Amino acid sequence: MAKIIQHQIFYPNPAADVWDYLTDPELMKQWLMPTDFKPVLGHKFTFTAKPMADFDFDGIFHCKVLEVVPFKKLSYSWDFGPGNGFLNRSEVHWTLTEKDNGTDLLLIHRGAEGSEMLPIFDAMDKGWLGNINKINKLLNPETDGTAKA
Amino acid sequence: MEQQRLDAFQVIADPSRRQILYLLSKDSLTINSLAENFDMSRPAVSKHIKVLQNSGFISIQDIGRERYCSLQQDGFNELQKWLEYYDAFWAAKLQKLGTLLNNKNKKK
Repeated sequence: MAKIIQHQIFYPNPAADVWDYLTDPELMKQWLMPTDFKPVLGHKFTFTAKPMADFDFDGIFHCKVLEVVPFKKLSYSWDFGPGNGFLNRSEVHWTLTEKDNGTDLLLIHRGAEGSEMLPIFDAMDKGWLGNINKINKLLNPETDGTAKA
Repeated sequence: MEQQRLDAFQVIADPSRRQILYLLSKDSLTINSLAENFDMSRPAVSKHIKVLQNSGFISIQDIGRERYCSLQQDGFNELQKWLEYYDAFWAAKLQKLGTLLNNKNKKK
């Protein structure tokens, strides 16, 4: 199970080319989504996608530019919700590293309150099932242990 | 008491609530025994427990005279479904970007 969204990809292109595709709305539209993005600190913008009712998602990602270091770094907030004003808050961070024959692109997508929140998953994943079994045993002592399927 | 609705990410952003989840990941505990692990007042602990319960991270069951807290999967499902969605989402988008960049190289 993913604890944080992280993808690193190498593209055989100069960092300037990759940067263009990350920051020019005309180019972003071709691989990501329609947007009114501008590489300006504090700029508020949206991405428009298909609404997904079963995900409580209205089809709009509400974003704000948090960091711009041309050809190197780009971060924006990435908030989404069902359209009633309630938003899940997350952040998208891009890091470009120019290599001899191309560019390493690192993407990190995580919850908005910092990176330390997701490791809790590890403990949860192992813990919750065992505890539900335990509480069941406490509630239903007659089925505890001795009964074999 | 007014209960503000928090998203799953906000719920586990609070260190005390993470600590409660961590303790419960080892064992189901009564509210009293949970409170013993914290310097804050018992009502303050109860408030965090309420938030965790409202958001589906834990459930509370009365066994005898004690109230037992244990982890519940609903809250984690909310986080997990988005994590899985975005993981696949970005993998597909970045692949598309690679195709576009590759075409650009060929045109040179």
